[in-house]
Amino acid sequence: MEHQNHQTENDEERLIALFGAYRDTCPDPEPSANFMPQLWQKIEARERASTVLGRLARNVVTATLALSSILALAVSISYSRMETLPSETYVEVLAEQHAGENLDYFEPVHIEPIADHR
Amino acid sequence: MLVEFELIKRARGGDGAAFNQLVLAYRKRILGTIGRLIGHPEDVEDVGQEVFLRLYFSLDQLRSAEVFEPWLYRLTANAAYDYLRKRRRRMESRMADLSEQQVLVADAIAGEKVNRDEGQRKQIRETVDSLLADVSEDDRVLLMLKEVEGLSLKELGKIYHVNENALKVRLFRARQRVLKAFRSARKPAAGFSGSH
Repeated sequence: MEHQNHQTENDEERLIALFGAYRDTCPDPEPSANFMPQLWQKIEARERASTVLGRLARNVVTATLALSSILALAVSISYSRMETLPSETYVEVLAEQHAGENLDYFEPVHIEPIADHR
Repeated sequence: MLVEFELIKRARGGDGAAFNQLVLAYRKRILGTIGRLIGHPEDVEDVGQEVFLRLYFSLDQLRSAEVFEPWLYRLTANAAYDYLRKRRRRMESRMADLSEQQVLVADAIAGEKVNRDEGQRKQIRETVDSLLADVSEDDRVLLMLKEVEGLSLKELGKIYHVNENALKVRLFRARQRVLKAFRSARKPAAGFSGSH
């Protein structure tokens, strides 16, 4: 048990030493001469991209608003037209128009047999 | 602090020259931290530029100049994490890939037997990189900030916005995972060296 604890501590120490050595192998590097110009190029490129995207987004929003206004207008016009249309069915309208020609007055047709003249 | 609060306030207000000065003051330190966090010197400048790019576009969200450094470290940790995640997706490096030579280097370091030339430095970097392959990218970054960068729990708490106890638990677990990998990598090496 004691040996195991000792081994664990030993491993931890070795690992810490390895991390320490790793730190020494990677000192802070000197930035290259291109670091700042490239950084500003990237910043400008992203700003341009975001400007273009922003403009595109604004255009899309404007177009969507215009389209929805047109659609809303079209829908409201069609509703107002529907209000002027009769609510009755086609048959009901026909019946109403021909109310004077009441079919109840028609009597059944009597066909008299033709007399035999022979 | 490497700069005056006034400079940070000016940069936050959109002063390009102040931002430039800010980058000039911190870039070396940040590049060093990134180099140790990601372990790939060839990509350090790219990740560093990404950090300062994010800083440029998020400076207006900084609450006060006093919290600038934890804020910058947070951006650094996030950029390193994003890089590591992308890199892991590109090539899956596994703990089992620790070469015999890497294990011997790790042992030699512990015994301080090495006179480090560039080859051995590379070997140390690769060894640590392989050891950390089994922990998640965010645990790797946390572990490196603590063990390699030497940040205190208080400083880490400010960077991660979590309490120190939660950080202790996370660090303990991550360290145990690395230790396990370290032990299992040394076992076959011991057998190997013992047979010769």
